[in-house]
Amino acid sequence: MTNHWNDLQHTDVCMIIGANPAENHPISFRWLLKARERGGKIISVDPRFTRSSSQADIYSPLRSGTDIAFIGGMIHYAIENNLFHKEYVAKYTNASFIVKESFKFNDGLFSGFDEGTSSYDKTQWAFETDKEGNPLKDEKLENPRSVFQLMKKHYSRYDADTVSTVTGAPKEDYVKICELFCSTGQVGKAGTIMYAMGTTQHTVGTQNVRSYAMLQLLLGNIGLPGGGVNALRGESNVQGSTDFALLWGDLPGYLGAPKAIPEHATLKAFLEKETPKSGYWINKPKFYVSLLKAWYGPNATKNNEFAYQMLPKGNKNYSHISLFNAMYKGELEGAFLFGQNPVVGGPNAGKEKESLSNLKWMVAVDLWETETSSFWQKEAGSDPSKIATEVFLLPASASFEKEGSITNSSRWMQYRWKAIDSRGEAKADLEIIHVLATKIKALYKNENTPAAQPIKALHWEYGHGDHPDIDIVCKEINGYDYNTGKQVVGFGALMDDGSTCSGNWIYSGFYPEEGNNRSKARDSKNTDGGTNFLNWSYAWPANRRILYNRASADPSGKPWSSERAVISWDRAQKKWVGNDIPDFVPTKAPTDEGGINPFIMLGDGVGGMYAPTLNDGPFPEHYEPFESPIPNVFSSVEMNPTVKVWDGEFNKKGNNKDFPIVATTYRVSEHWQSGSMTRNQEWLSELVPHMYVEMSEELAKEKGIKNKDKIVVSSARGDVTAYAMVTKRFKPYKLKGGTIHHIGMPWHFGYKGYATGDTANRLTPHIGDANTMIPEYKAFLCNVRRAD
Amino acid sequence: MATEYVKYVDVTKCDGCRACMVACKNWNDLPAEPQDFLGTMQSHANVTADTWNVLTFVEHENSKGNLDYLFRHSSCFHCTDAACEKVCPENAISYTDKGMVVVDQDTCVGCGYCVQNCPFDVIQLKNYKDENGKEYRKAHKCTMCTDRLDEGLQPACVTTCHTGAMEFGEKDDIIRKAEKRVNEIKERYPNAMVYNPQGVGGTHTIYVLAEKPSVYGLPENPKVPTSAVLWKDYAQPIGKAMVGGVAMALAGAFVANKFFDKKNGGHEEDGGGNRE
Repeated sequence: MTNHWNDLQHTDVCMIIGANPAENHPISFRWLLKARERGGKIISVDPRFTRSSSQADIYSPLRSGTDIAFIGGMIHYAIENNLFHKEYVAKYTNASFIVKESFKFNDGLFSGFDEGTSSYDKTQWAFETDKEGNPLKDEKLENPRSVFQLMKKHYSRYDADTVSTVTGAPKEDYVKICELFCSTGQVGKAGTIMYAMGTTQHTVGTQNVRSYAMLQLLLGNIGLPGGGVNALRGESNVQGSTDFALLWGDLPGYLGAPKAIPEHATLKAFLEKETPKSGYWINKPKFYVSLLKAWYGPNATKNNEFAYQMLPKGNKNYSHISLFNAMYKGELEGAFLFGQNPVVGGPNAGKEKESLSNLKWMVAVDLWETETSSFWQKEAGSDPSKIATEVFLLPASASFEKEGSITNSSRWMQYRWKAIDSRGEAKADLEIIHVLATKIKALYKNENTPAAQPIKALHWEYGHGDHPDIDIVCKEINGYDYNTGKQVVGFGALMDDGSTCSGNWIYSGFYPEEGNNRSKARDSKNTDGGTNFLNWSYAWPANRRILYNRASADPSGKPWSSERAVISWDRAQKKWVGNDIPDFVPTKAPTDEGGINPFIMLGDGVGGMYAPTLNDGPFPEHYEPFESPIPNVFSSVEMNPTVKVWDGEFNKKGNNKDFPIVATTYRVSEHWQSGSMTRNQEWLSELVPHMYVEMSEELAKEKGIKNKDKIVVSSARGDVTAYAMVTKRFKPYKLKGGTIHHIGMPWHFGYKGYATGDTANRLTPHIGDANTMIPEYKAFLCNVRRAD
Repeated sequence: MATEYVKYVDVTKCDGCRACMVACKNWNDLPAEPQDFLGTMQSHANVTADTWNVLTFVEHENSKGNLDYLFRHSSCFHCTDAACEKVCPENAISYTDKGMVVVDQDTCVGCGYCVQNCPFDVIQLKNYKDENGKEYRKAHKCTMCTDRLDEGLQPACVTTCHTGAMEFGEKDDIIRKAEKRVNEIKERYPNAMVYNPQGVGGTHTIYVLAEKPSVYGLPENPKVPTSAVLWKDYAQPIGKAMVGGVAMALAGAFVANKFFDKKNGGHEEDGGGNRE
């Protein structure tokens, strides 16, 4: 989230798209309903009418996989009707930048596309610059090569009629939504967008989010209370685990993992290549060296590149989809699955289950035996005599049985204390990792092979015995002066000479030498910052609650409006003051160089209306999902051309003749993820005990299906049996080319636990987004029939 | 009676999360009872002896032709004139000083007249077996967490409600609040109303409904059956005075059979179970 949960209460208009917070993030509704008491409005855009829609002022259906068409049309509407925040756009975004003539867009393709590699030469999308390399601008936004004019032209194709025939949103409702949401372009108003996996789990997932960000920049809604682009995280600690480099391409704090390429051959070369020349990221070497110091301690010295060579470097894609493809081909020997249940949660889950049997060994760390840790059993439909995989199940402690922190969607790092002891031999993840690390280090102690080097170099001093001292871990994350041992005050104090360490620079400052571990702060009474609750937990970075809050003030440093004030420039004190920590250099005056550049993490200091860095183009463009019911209305390019298509058995593709119905998957309040926790909880299982598929009355009639019938849903990958839930909340979609039906189903079920049912992900394709490889769980084709 | 307290349920603020159902089971230590698939998101068709509140889900096309997805926290209303209290031949059902209707589990003989006469179908019997294998039954329902109220806490469902759809407070304040709320939402829900039926003397669960009661499966005008009033307020006291307690209990069983056993062809008086 750019903002935070409590801040939702300040919004004038909240657009919920690609999310169903009433069911999946219920606590947000506490704040949204407060916003409504103040006269705020709620828009719900979803393939079906949800519990969130029930609380909305306007609802519109949206065919799964058509967000860019929907938002592109809103961008068009805001520009055509002059509803955007002109000064904000001109000063705080790159809309004024001039783009090189080499950038072109024609029939669904941007310039620079190479069919052989399915990738773009992004240099063709660059900005025009002066001799010093500064971008040329036209703040009047009139130059035909300005980002603004190119954007205007790009989205001129996204008129309401076309959008309606692609998305299935009735035109009348769509225009009402455009009108209402774009009303927040007025100074003094703020609109927010709430999204979740309905947005990201597409082959165009990254560009879906981009389109929201562009709309919000256009309306001047970033940096303000009640505004922002707000990702509702799918797990209580997804924010934290992402921050700590859960994803394969990063090191903690989004530092980027090195590859086995000549430009990354040495630390010096890596940092030269990967450190931007402007913006706050110029400090990257300080964060990188401090991280290496945290990991390798005394073994990281100036003379050995701070042990940079100990980092693993590889050039493959190591995402979930790629790993399972490799596993399927027998290229992986073993796997550790910490709280992972891919036999229920993975894309094309039936094949992922098969892949597991190609492993020599597998270690599952979980609270219960899951469908994954028991994939080899007869109950799972397997023949144990034919599976050679050796499976270990390590019992894990539940959240109430261990101490530590989680970071919520608001970026709040909140400490949690242990309530009860674990049962049996269950251990906390931290303890399991600690024991593994110490044992592996002992095994390699006397070995001098290249493989042994990084293990021996790893500095692992978190206390004696099997239980690590979590306070030492916390101090290391914050970072300390390596010579004095004193914790640093924040990431501003980190150095690139090996004198400091920090396990994750963005968290640096949560545990300063003077004061306590601030993730333990629980003061809701002393409300410094009003509803920003600055004394409650610790929000990274630097306890800032509303990101980019410099943008809440005009270029001169005065709030755009008093109702929407966050920080302002105090001339007498020569600093930024307000009810939040400035997301800006606190003493940098508006008249200083860069004093009007609110987006400090970006090289140009302004918001990226145009993003020449993404794999699939600088502007989001609508493409159909991997499996689509209709041809692309906007161009002859059907699917995102830069997506990696996995061929063969693992990713069979269905056509719209055999599989004419659009399907999507989602979650319910009562179950969590693959259900391995909630389906083992009786009180939750009784609330949603059965696997079901939601469909319209019209489709049910067409197929001769009655409510509560057992039905079979099939896709090119597999089929599932479930109960039919015939509902008014799904309606047929009127699209270009005729009526299309849409169904949806929860993906929580498996055969273990109290609430059992078929696994929806046996239907989903094994394909992912062009930038992140997040699987396209949310839009695919299927057919339905009665089970008997 | 001391100050009367009521539970306030503003269904227009409910987002259907069902935390109230789990909180109830948790506090009252009630077992799960998985149901067959009902064809909607609703988990239980009705409240049961082990599920004291149920979130109902209704898909309703409103007068403007738009779809409303209506939720209601359904549990005992704690009527001021409670039919269950009136028909109980054993006087096992009584009012607390805060106005809540509670069942004394030691006195209850499981006759089921309360079940049959409740206008809202919110009290049910549970079967048990004693150590000799003999079967017996007890009537169970929401107690409004009387044990919590006695300790100065609020009902578990109210405490857990995150949207503020439920509150607990003094009756007069809540009625004012409910009336004000109805005025606020009339534009969106023209049929919105306060549901505090006078046919049962008012209730200690007061609703703000978005639609007419019948849309939620509630009786528009529930009443205490006349037979129950006659029994409790006239026959029973007079009888007790004349023949003594024990004899009256026996006579009670006979009379109760005559008057309240609806299942076996007893009287269907006005009020109970009136559904439109």
